[in-house]
Amino acid sequence: MADTDLVVRQDIRSAMWNPGGWKSLLTFFILALAWLAGFSARLFAVIRFESIIHEFDPWFNYRATHYMVENGFYNFLNWFDDRAWYPLGRIVGGTVYPGLMVTSGSIHWFLNLLHIPVHIRDICVFLAPIFSGMTSMSVFLFTKEIWNPGAGLFAACFIAIVPGYISRSVAGSYDNEGIAIFALMFTYYLWIKAVKTGQVFWSICSALSYFYMVSAWGGYVFIINLVPLHVFVLLLMGRYSQRIYTSYTCFYIVGLVLSMQIPFVGFQPIRTSEHMAAAGVFALLNAYAFLRYIQNFLTKAEFRYFFIAAVTCAAAIVFVAVVGLTWAGYIAPWSGRFYSLWDTGYAKIHIPIIASVSEHQPTTWVSFFFDLHILVCAFPVGAWYCIKNVNDERVFVVLYAIFASYFAGVMVRLMLTLTPVVCVLAAIAFSKTFEVYLKDDSPKSSQKGGDENGDNKNDRLYDKVGNKKKIRDDKPKDDEGLGINVKSIIIVALLMMLMLFAVHCTWVTSSAYSSPSIVLASYGQGGSRTILDDFREAYYWLRQNTHDKARIMSWWDYGYQIAGMGNRTTLVDNNTWNNSHIALVGKAMSSNESAAYEIMRTLDVNYVLVIFGGVIGYSGDDINKFLWMVRIAEGEHPKDIREVDYFTPQGEFRVDSAGSKTLLNCLMYKLSYYRFGQLQLDFRSPAGFDRTRGVEIGNKNFDLTYLEEAYTTEHWLVRIYKVKDLENRKKLIHPHKPIIKSKRKSLRGGKKTGVIRNKSKVVKGRKPKAGSASSSRSSKSKK
Amino acid sequence: MKSLIVICVLMHLAFCKTNTDAIDKNIVNAKIERKIDISSHLVKTSTSVTLENKGTSSVRSFLFSIEPLLKNSIAYVGATSKDDKEKLDVSPTTVSGHSDKTFYRVTLRSALDAGKTTIVDVEAIFSHVLRPYPSEIAQAEKQLVVLEANLYFYSPYPTTSQTTTVITTSSNVESYTKTKPVSQSDTSIIYGPYEDKAAFSEAPLKVHEENNSPFLTVTSMERVVEVSHWGNIAVEEHIDMTHTGASLKGSFSRFDYQRQQDGMASIKTFKTSLPASARDVYYRDEIGNISTSHMREMDESVEVELRPRFPLFGGWKTRYFLGYNVPSYEYLFFKDDHYALKLRFIDHIYDDMVVDKMQLRIILPEGVKNIELKIPFDVKRQGDQVHYTYLDTLGRPVVVLNKNNLVEQHIQDFELHYTFQRLLLLQEPLLVVGAFYLLFLVVIIYVRLDFAITKDEAKESRMRVAGFIDEVQNAHDRRSALYQSYDDAINKFKSNKDAAAFSAGRKKIDADYKQLTQQIQNIQAQLKAEGAEASEKVAELQRLDSLYKEQIGLAIMSAEKLVSGKMGRQQYLDAEAATSSKCDDTYKKMESLRSTL
Repeated sequence: MADTDLVVRQDIRSAMWNPGGWKSLLTFFILALAWLAGFSARLFAVIRFESIIHEFDPWFNYRATHYMVENGFYNFLNWFDDRAWYPLGRIVGGTVYPGLMVTSGSIHWFLNLLHIPVHIRDICVFLAPIFSGMTSMSVFLFTKEIWNPGAGLFAACFIAIVPGYISRSVAGSYDNEGIAIFALMFTYYLWIKAVKTGQVFWSICSALSYFYMVSAWGGYVFIINLVPLHVFVLLLMGRYSQRIYTSYTCFYIVGLVLSMQIPFVGFQPIRTSEHMAAAGVFALLNAYAFLRYIQNFLTKAEFRYFFIAAVTCAAAIVFVAVVGLTWAGYIAPWSGRFYSLWDTGYAKIHIPIIASVSEHQPTTWVSFFFDLHILVCAFPVGAWYCIKNVNDERVFVVLYAIFASYFAGVMVRLMLTLTPVVCVLAAIAFSKTFEVYLKDDSPKSSQKGGDENGDNKNDRLYDKVGNKKKIRDDKPKDDEGLGINVKSIIIVALLMMLMLFAVHCTWVTSSAYSSPSIVLASYGQGGSRTILDDFREAYYWLRQNTHDKARIMSWWDYGYQIAGMGNRTTLVDNNTWNNSHIALVGKAMSSNESAAYEIMRTLDVNYVLVIFGGVIGYSGDDINKFLWMVRIAEGEHPKDIREVDYFTPQGEFRVDSAGSKTLLNCLMYKLSYYRFGQLQLDFRSPAGFDRTRGVEIGNKNFDLTYLEEAYTTEHWLVRIYKVKDLENRKKLIHPHKPIIKSKRKSLRGGKKTGVIRNKSKVVKGRKPKAGSASSSRSSKSKK
Repeated sequence: MKSLIVICVLMHLAFCKTNTDAIDKNIVNAKIERKIDISSHLVKTSTSVTLENKGTSSVRSFLFSIEPLLKNSIAYVGATSKDDKEKLDVSPTTVSGHSDKTFYRVTLRSALDAGKTTIVDVEAIFSHVLRPYPSEIAQAEKQLVVLEANLYFYSPYPTTSQTTTVITTSSNVESYTKTKPVSQSDTSIIYGPYEDKAAFSEAPLKVHEENNSPFLTVTSMERVVEVSHWGNIAVEEHIDMTHTGASLKGSFSRFDYQRQQDGMASIKTFKTSLPASARDVYYRDEIGNISTSHMREMDESVEVELRPRFPLFGGWKTRYFLGYNVPSYEYLFFKDDHYALKLRFIDHIYDDMVVDKMQLRIILPEGVKNIELKIPFDVKRQGDQVHYTYLDTLGRPVVVLNKNNLVEQHIQDFELHYTFQRLLLLQEPLLVVGAFYLLFLVVIIYVRLDFAITKDEAKESRMRVAGFIDEVQNAHDRRSALYQSYDDAINKFKSNKDAAAFSAGRKKIDADYKQLTQQIQNIQAQLKAEGAEASEKVAELQRLDSLYKEQIGLAIMSAEKLVSGKMGRQQYLDAEAATSSKCDDTYKKMESLRSTL
């Protein structure tokens, strides 16, 4: 008897997760495979190249993690980085989302505790692939709550390999997004769970998960706006219930308090407009609950009167409070980045530094298909099913779908937040379709009874069971008309589509998203591969052969890499917090050499680093980015730098002899093309032929006065120049030298400047031209 | 016994350090032929010393001294006897009254009798003696170096006749000391012979020549050897190197470097030889793999052509890690629990290498005891450290050895003896097994016991219901078996027509049946009390069962009628067909009901 008791109990326990042992085994197996597939699909870069941190931002994250592992958590929080933003420095602890560093740091700590000496770099490299597995787990749970476990498995498999998510989570792409998507989906899952059960436990869990999300990524704002929106829409739909009240109030209060613990977030949740929606909904929900309570004591007529009065008052008070606080400066108005989400042209006009980033551009239709393939087609179907069989949770997923689609359309980067919901809804669509067409409804009564039973079990999880049962009951009758052939054709077609999806995912991952971008590879005619390792060559040269405190000036893109790999002080970096500093660097790059020298002296620059792709035809070099430098510089220094000066009178940007004189004499041009005019790459093209832009450069024979070439990498990709000291400093070192000699020296210097003066004559001659150009532009704008 | 030997060795070593000798007045250098090779960045002197014993007693050893000018640069001193080319024992020593000089005692193979002569070749290698002059050169310029040394052989004994040959890199010699007699040929300058110089006589020798050989110096290196008794020895070297030649003045132009292939004094690439069995070689630095290297496997070694990320000009430095694995059977020998590791102290890094500072760390397996070291030259041994790696509990002992100023001649084997209990090899696998066992045990316990602190009524009820349903199913199965026995009894009765036996058997089955039906009835009542849906199904089951029982009753009745002859055969067959089809129908219904309970 006791034995049977035990057996029974065990059965019950497993039945809590999934009915039937084989079912849970299958689920486990599929999820494990999804995890494995997702993990291995992300390893292309590691296998082709090596275990290395990719791109730009990950280098900072890696450096910060390294610092934390070496110096401890509290020193990390108090870290003032004097190697960035010279001479300003950066308070890293207060300007960073520490979730990523803490996550990999604690994994490292734990492994070291077990005496498993894994280097922190390897943990950082493989963190995103591992978390992608956890993301697919949480997407499974989320979809299971929204629809059913079958759809959940589909969703888990989709999210594991979908390129839209892989793009941000390949091995080596050690960025906030890698763990944030997991946190996002897990928070949503817990929120849905909280809404469904109305238990404090689940809402506290979702608040904790939200806390993790806040610590990991700035995208937490998406959660703190979407969840209140969900609650608000439920109120409007008349779906208010005790469950919603409990879950939202717990979530909001605990989440608010927790989110304010992150130093970078601080008081933002109560002081910025982005977070006000959550507070407003909190107030509204409480007011609504209060009214419901009052309703018990009033008659209908009284209540209507009271209701209208109360609602108007409440709305007026909230509105006045928000406006008043904003006006008084207690609540910050919307930030520029936020505006740019609503007005796509905003950034281009007001914040060129945001617009200059390629991932902040609006998304093209192609990239939707490229990143999501068949899922983007199935996604509306899933949304339609959710709308048709609506309940509290499905309202949420529909809202999520609508908003994420909008944001993904505004910015390429936000494709990432859309991807999970597309996977969920496409999974629902596929699962539903398969449910219809895979069902064996040949007259086998007992089998069918069993199936229906299973369906009922699932349906019982949702409200409006009655309605749906009818639909379900109707459907098989319709389908009975479908022959087995039609069914199998449809199923084969669907399977083909899914197979093509898998092929597409692998192809996109391998070709588009698996380049470390630090190491380049080129393929010879025989298929042989040559590795162009110029970036690391240059950064390592900086690390080894410059003074430890040397200041390197470069465009901000390379700031993190110089700091991470070169371990040297930079002026500007990818944390673009100080626009005017970046503009100053842009101004130095776009001025002529002597003007730039002034700026570089004031900024204490020792070396200047430029990226030049003309020799190997690398298109992402500084000359191609140059116009953004000019634009950003113009934004801050409109008197000195004008964009029109860098175009030909026809309005073209060209570096050949027809190019504008200002461009051909600016610092960036000179540093890129110094001595390039003498280099003949092959016999068919003339000397000084720029392969990236496909032209022969316009200004070939020039000398540098204030800078000297310090290092150029093998393929000329990175060029480093040393800023010379002032001439007269040498005289001070050797005061015993005869005065005549030094005079001669200065004379020689004079001669040199004479050469420049000759050129500056040309500059003078050009000036009215530039004026006319600008006037023509202004006239154009008037038109 | 073993420890005694150790003590002896240690004492011997200790004595060597504080050795004092006296200068034997009876020894005379009859003839000295000295070669100073400055064709690389090292200064290699090889001196053929003809010793003459003018005293009355035999001599066992003589002293070799190094002038104060070079005494800090000495890297290696070795001696061979001319006759049989055998290596002689050389050990550092001091002489009272000459504390400013460095002495080495060379022990002869056989004592030198009075009046006899013998010839000994002494080799000495100095690093960082050649000074680049000018100390800064532009990219296209050639590198010039100055040698400053002693014109005469520096010896504690008077020298009768001596010649010195300086071998230069090329014929391009800017200037040299012209103390006659001197002659210069293609790549050598010959001084001497100089006659009858007193002991410790000195005169300046200065040669200024062009030398573009790579002035590559390993400023510091750390070599880590990790011994695993599972069959692998992993070696990793962390190397800091600097170009110590004339430093680069002004700018580095990639255009000129690619076009004219100038920068002759710069270092583009160098070759490292690793042991022939080296596998999984890697070459990397702090920021990742250095992709510019080639490996060639040869019969006696693995040659790795290393190219630093950037060419090394004067004053430029770089840092890299080179690692590889070798199978342990080639280097690790054992007898019972005694093990001996025999491995190179340092690997070949590049030709004419100079290592300023080196640390060798040997990580031995966990549980190693009685570590003894045998090494052919002097090293400084630090206290042992402890290292933790995969699955370690107590940590692995690490032997740390330090040595400064090493050259190619130091590529020699050291021996490390220790004891290790072989059973300890199983410790780590067992640890893993134990951990997993514990994990599974915890899972088993967790699944089987209820840790809930509150009672969940609904769940309890569900569990009870499940239990009841199980019981119902069991009872029902047994009851179905009873149906079969009814059939059997009827058939038997039909064939043997034994009414008494039949009624007895039937009563027995009836009793069982009643008991089971009662049991199910009770359970149904309990289910009803739990408020479970299943109770209705059980009621339905009971109803079907009573239908079935009715049919059986009919079957029995007609069988009795048949036996007593009250019913015709055909009639009976019809009745039986009707009952059995009804029975089948009901049975099926019951079965499906049972399975959906």
